[in-house]
Amino acid sequence: MKMNKLLILVLAAVYVGVPLLLGSNAYVMSLVIASLVIGGIALSWALLGNLGGMVSFGHAAFFGVGAYTSAVLSMQHGVPVFIGLLLGGVGAVVAALAMLPVLRLRGPYFALAILAYAHIFRILATEWQSVTGGSGGIASIPRLPQLFGYDFSGKTGNYLVILTIVLVFALVYDMIRRSPHGLALRAMHDSEDATRVVGVNNTLLKGLMLLVSAFMCGVVGAFNAHYINFLEPDYAFSAGWVTIPIVAAIFGGYRTITGPLVGAVVVYLVDQLFVKNIMPTGHQLVLGVVLVAMIIASPDGLFGLVRKFMRKKDATA
Amino acid sequence: MLQLENVTVRFGGLTAVNDVSLNIGTGDVVGLVGANGAGKTTLFNAISGLVRPTSGRIVFNGADVLKAPMYQRARMGIGRTFQIPQPMHELTVRQNLQVAQRFGTGRIDERRIDEVLDFTGLTAKAGRDASTGLALTELKALEVAKALATDPKLLLLDEVLAGLETNGKRAFMNMLKGLHEKFAVGICIIEHDIETISNLCARVAVLNFGQLIAEGAPAAVFNDPAVVKSYTGADHA
Amino acid sequence: MPPSPGMSYIDWNANMTELILQSVYSGLLQGGSYALIALGLALVFGAMKVINLAHGELVLLAAYIAYTVETKLGWNPAAAIPVAVIIVTATSALLYFVVSRIKTNREINSLTLTYGVGVILTNIVLMIWSADVRATSSSWMQEAFQVGDLYSMRSEVLFFFVSLVLIVALWWWLSRSWYGRAVRAVSSNRDAAKLMGINPGRTELVSFLVAGILAAFAGVALFSYGTITPATGGVLTVKAFIITVLAGVGSIPGVLIGAVLLGIAEALTVTLASSALQELAGMGLFLLVLFVMPNGLFGATKRRG
Repeated sequence: MKMNKLLILVLAAVYVGVPLLLGSNAYVMSLVIASLVIGGIALSWALLGNLGGMVSFGHAAFFGVGAYTSAVLSMQHGVPVFIGLLLGGVGAVVAALAMLPVLRLRGPYFALAILAYAHIFRILATEWQSVTGGSGGIASIPRLPQLFGYDFSGKTGNYLVILTIVLVFALVYDMIRRSPHGLALRAMHDSEDATRVVGVNNTLLKGLMLLVSAFMCGVVGAFNAHYINFLEPDYAFSAGWVTIPIVAAIFGGYRTITGPLVGAVVVYLVDQLFVKNIMPTGHQLVLGVVLVAMIIASPDGLFGLVRKFMRKKDATA
Repeated sequence: MLQLENVTVRFGGLTAVNDVSLNIGTGDVVGLVGANGAGKTTLFNAISGLVRPTSGRIVFNGADVLKAPMYQRARMGIGRTFQIPQPMHELTVRQNLQVAQRFGTGRIDERRIDEVLDFTGLTAKAGRDASTGLALTELKALEVAKALATDPKLLLLDEVLAGLETNGKRAFMNMLKGLHEKFAVGICIIEHDIETISNLCARVAVLNFGQLIAEGAPAAVFNDPAVVKSYTGADHA
Repeated sequence: MPPSPGMSYIDWNANMTELILQSVYSGLLQGGSYALIALGLALVFGAMKVINLAHGELVLLAAYIAYTVETKLGWNPAAAIPVAVIIVTATSALLYFVVSRIKTNREINSLTLTYGVGVILTNIVLMIWSADVRATSSSWMQEAFQVGDLYSMRSEVLFFFVSLVLIVALWWWLSRSWYGRAVRAVSSNRDAAKLMGINPGRTELVSFLVAGILAAFAGVALFSYGTITPATGGVLTVKAFIITVLAGVGSIPGVLIGAVLLGIAEALTVTLASSALQELAGMGLFLLVLFVMPNGLFGATKRRG
């Protein structure tokens, strides 16, 4: 009961409180929206890592494919934007299907194979000029339209949409995690034979997680395209969409569901508000330092650190 | 129910299982014995799918087992325990069974899980972490429980008694006796202890260097000079 | 026409065979440096089962050091080699110490950790030297060197031979010297190596140091005949990785051949298709090998999960 009250409070705060209090400040709102975009990617990355057991350096592939799919469909084929978001996710899934053969590779090989795919998609986006506008990119991508009488094209509208997307994904992630499939996925990292021998199709489940992760990341990418209204290959497939979510997820704790989200907001806001002002050129360096520090000190993220600290306190009490 | 026809398993130059043919019927309790390295676990691996036989056929209830990948064999009704217990890490005992049941049978039946927990004596430990919270006896019991949760028709038990001390062994043996009656499974059990095998099994098969050298009632088999020689190297027990 | 950095070798009056031969030749020369980079990566992976995603950045560092030596001191970039070796090897040792601090799940955590270090190094390079594209302006390095009808820059040929010498030296070191054999021992069976009195920690450090030396040479080479930007580091790591996949684990000749193959594939792609697709060549080769020959062209180790 306490959890529900807390939940309602949080939902009220983010859905009503934030727009009310911050809605007029375009700069802050854009920071919040961007951090939610990062959060969405971080969530999908953590899902793949946690449940799929795979570390990926190529999520920019899903992000970019989702972005381009939605942009092209809505501009060249008249698909409504909100449908386009979903189709962006589908596009990313198709890209992920092409990656399925790579699943059987072990950790580092998988991570880099995905990176290779990301490069390929970026090059495709650059060269397939007739569809993607080449390296010049696509401009004037339609904004989010009106729905149920509410105009979603403004900052607040975009905020509400990305917030909903991220929360829905978090919910889905949680549901999967609690299900027998989630249990099997968590077990199979260390106990491959134990799960197979009782009937779990390890490969299929892992493959499904890749597709789910791709879908989520693709939808977020599609959203971003309609939010920024502009797309070009180097932006859509940029390494930043890989680095920042990873740092966010590790910082916040990639084993939890709230971890990547909290991590994204914190890392992104700190980076944009403070670090960028101190070191405009190499500010991503701080991200790297945070990543390295976290892996050594607390690979389970901030919450892991806090938990460890709490445990120590209990021990000495 | 299970028919092994001329199964041979070769690893490079080593022939672990050599032309073994064996039948296990629906109600049977068959013991599989032999010196270390005789090929018993490899045979189990071939049946359950960890290893692919180099030649031969394995038929289970009319279906060609070798066409099925490892994860499908549980759904076909072949359950198996590992000699070194392999609990599902990070999950509780109950969760272990939930996964086994959900993927081995396609549905979840909590009542049945409770039954299995009770039978294997794990009810009290249902909420414990399977990889860190259990003693050896309990880990071995969990192996059996996991296999049972998949509703098997054939249960392959690989040295479940190994490493247990006398009391644990006795309790386990009583459980194994009840297995056959309570859950109507056919059982094939690998054990080293002759007394255990004679107590539990109506039929015994003996492997030596991968080959089946004797098969029949325990008393007859264990007095067979060829079998005695494979264990002791001498002609007399 | 004598070539210079950044200029394509295409002489539109040449016929197809000449073009292809020239491409193969250029790719071959490039393969030497690629091999050095890939070997450094493979060495560390063998000794520590760690893929150093910052390896490309080590090469990059050396390249920029060469740039500084050339622009600030006015010397031939080759003179930068001793400085580059010292700095890059020291950085590599630092990297080793950080990696060795990982407590759990080293195989996976080292990926993200070295990735983070790569980001740090790339940004350091960015801050010190800015994002502009750099290339050598040494005319000695750029001077045309002709073998029959095949053209190259002097630097390309020079560093190809340097690479060969280094590779042979590496091979000798791995098979004859104590530390070299220790590295091989630790790669193949860590526990058994420990039982033989080999200190795995020290061996791992040695592998990082040697990788640093190879990277230093490769970096100076790269600066001498190619162009560099801060982003080049990441690209090089991926290429090195592709080569190790091509070669399969545990084979030096395999790495050299894989590196040359990559170089040739890239050169042919640039000549016959377009320079934008150059990266695609490597990626395509990579995926092809993964699907068709998962053990690499020469490898003997299983890489399945």
